[in-house]
Amino acid sequence: MEVKEKRMRTRILSILAYTGAGLTLVVAICVPFVLFQVFTNVVAHVGLHIDPAYSGGTVARTIDRGGYRIVVYQPVQPRLLERIEPFVQIVFEPADALPARVTDEIDLDGDGRPDVRVSFNLPADPNTPLRGDVTALNATYISLASVGGESFSRMVVRTGNKIVVRVPLNRGTVH
Amino acid sequence: MAALSLSASAGEALVLGLATGPVCLATCGPVVVPWMLVQPQGVRGHGRQLFLFLAARLAGYLVFACAVWLVGSAIPHALPQSWTGRSWLMGGIQLLLAAAMVVYAVGWPHRRCAAAKTADALVQIGETSVPKRSGALALGFLTGINLCPPFLVAGFRAAQLAHLSAALLFFLCFFAGTAIWFFPFLSLGFLKRTPEVIIVARMVAILLACWYGFSGISILIERTFHG
Amino acid sequence: MASRSSALARPPAFRGIGRSILLTLPIALWSLLMFMPSFQHAGRDRHISALLVILFMTTLFFLMMRTGETYRWRRIFFVAMGFLFPFGFIAALVAERGTMSIPISRMVSGDTPFCFMVTPSLLLPAAFARTIIFPGSILPTASNPHSIAAMIGVWFAMTLILGKAWCSYACFFGGIEEGFAAFPKRRRLHRFITRFGAYLRLIPWAILVFVVLASAALFEPVYCMWLCPFKAVTEFPAVRNVTTAVQMGIFVALFVGLVVVLPYLTKKRTQCGFFCPFGAFQSLFNKINLFEIRFDREKCVDCTLCQTSCPTVALSKESIREGKTLLNCMKCGACVDACKKDAAVWHLKGTPVAVKPERARLLFLYGAWALATMMGGSILANSVATMVHWLPWK
Repeated sequence: MEVKEKRMRTRILSILAYTGAGLTLVVAICVPFVLFQVFTNVVAHVGLHIDPAYSGGTVARTIDRGGYRIVVYQPVQPRLLERIEPFVQIVFEPADALPARVTDEIDLDGDGRPDVRVSFNLPADPNTPLRGDVTALNATYISLASVGGESFSRMVVRTGNKIVVRVPLNRGTVH
Repeated sequence: MAALSLSASAGEALVLGLATGPVCLATCGPVVVPWMLVQPQGVRGHGRQLFLFLAARLAGYLVFACAVWLVGSAIPHALPQSWTGRSWLMGGIQLLLAAAMVVYAVGWPHRRCAAAKTADALVQIGETSVPKRSGALALGFLTGINLCPPFLVAGFRAAQLAHLSAALLFFLCFFAGTAIWFFPFLSLGFLKRTPEVIIVARMVAILLACWYGFSGISILIERTFHG
Repeated sequence: MASRSSALARPPAFRGIGRSILLTLPIALWSLLMFMPSFQHAGRDRHISALLVILFMTTLFFLMMRTGETYRWRRIFFVAMGFLFPFGFIAALVAERGTMSIPISRMVSGDTPFCFMVTPSLLLPAAFARTIIFPGSILPTASNPHSIAAMIGVWFAMTLILGKAWCSYACFFGGIEEGFAAFPKRRRLHRFITRFGAYLRLIPWAILVFVVLASAALFEPVYCMWLCPFKAVTEFPAVRNVTTAVQMGIFVALFVGLVVVLPYLTKKRTQCGFFCPFGAFQSLFNKINLFEIRFDREKCVDCTLCQTSCPTVALSKESIREGKTLLNCMKCGACVDACKKDAAVWHLKGTPVAVKPERARLLFLYGAWALATMMGGSILANSVATMVHWLPWK
């Protein structure tokens, strides 16, 4: 009786094992046609976002300058022990609508008063490295002189058809 | 009025501790995890070790509170947040922490009965091992004086208080807020302690010691060259 | 790529040609299906590369069926992928931007292609802060098809099927050191590996825990920023200060040491077995994977040929005595092919050990080779197309 039970259990387990193996093969076949897209969509809809240190954060306001726009982002503060300075990202777009020399005073905190002056010469060749200056008009921000892509908190760079400027904030500033 | 002011700052300290607890966890959690994994399995034992660790951490907090209040009361204005001396202190503490982690990872010293070395055939009778020094006090104290950002914020706030007792109470409440975040570490007591788990924990402690050491040296080198 | 292990291995047991062709047919059809778009849409370079890869993958599978061996033929594919992937990747980088280094502008625009090796570092920040600490993009874009969602999707789907066999069939870095390990005839540092192997194979776990904790604390992908040896043959943050220069130095040192020199000396996959935290992470999936390698204790004579042949020290005397491999077994088949007594066998969990092991092997290989053709085959095809494109007599 015991031997019979043992044989029955072995048989059931084997059936389950081979069924599982067969399903594994089915899954393997489905990967490029169905599962790849399913898993991609699941990951995309879980509600994850890229670290603001890389993405620049969320948009605070857009300033229309006629031919081009200036997009001002929310300040980004370092999380936990993240080794970046707090900064504010400003994006000028589209880059091909910008004049050869850009000098702009921008209100970053929405209080109606300009906070920084950004100036840079836009090279005709988009592959030429860009350098620019940021002059802080109040103590909240830190000025930058002839900066390119120094760090994630201090930069004036071209990415595609946009100019990305990141202005560091003084650490004691509360936002 | 004084009592109201005192309870207000105690409340502020507790909230600050709760809010900045994750940062404390990020700074000190990497020390706690491998250290706890080397302790024997069991929630009670872990609870005892965690209690010792937190007690030593509180001692560190209170020592810092005294020091910062005394300095603050000696100088008319509060210390500027850009006080450069703190970098030297931070670098030094991180190096000490790295050294302590190496000692307690490599050693976890305990003495055996001397006779056991001479003949494997000897039967051990009775308890021969001396209680291990687990490192709870040393690591707890060092993490307690480690100058992480919320710690500095609490320090500058405490330096502005009128009395030393107020500063100590502030830090006690701040400690209570941060300590709550450490209780989930008790769950490590359930993890099975195979020899492999203990070896991996020791290796992690050494790696983290290298990281703290590198961080400490970087801070000191930057201070040396950039002032 | 003859190696000492072939001298140790039992002679191949040839199966009938007709049977071997029949068993290979599904893989041939699958390969055609995978590369059909190349024939329909792409240029002549792509047609040639697709045809070569289909023949390559199908021939290797046929040889697996014909000889009954797995490791030798899998290794040819794996080493080819390991060397051709960096070639194709670097060629594409140089063509696009003239350098292997990633400028910071690409990192802030989300154009950094995602690499699966950063996955363990992302877990805690993603779980607690819903934040991906990687400068990529969640969804595919025109400039970055290797988005985070797509790569994690591919990785997860393949890991469900392969478990840690990912390290033998999918990881396009492992093939590099397997190639260097295959060159020499003689194994050096054998005594060192034997004596300290039990500790060495725990190092990846320690690095995994360290990387996960440090990444969560610092909110940066610590492995990518400081410890990845393969940055030396793919892309790396542009050197712009002392810190990035130190990082580059570490990447090159780790690559030369762990991926070139030590595999050459020891004939082991030293980076994979003694360092890679992603490999340790993949080992966890062996717990739920249906396929494994087991040992028939009645046939085993404890000659330890299997232990010697294992490229990642995934066997110990104790585990062999229990009839099992350790958790970090990559299912490469080296021990099975090396065993002269047929004691080491492929096994499907839930079935009796050493009863119809060939069936378990086939079921495993069909899934593994199908995925290898899908992913590795595409990598091979891209690189071969680049080479064909550069041919002077085209």
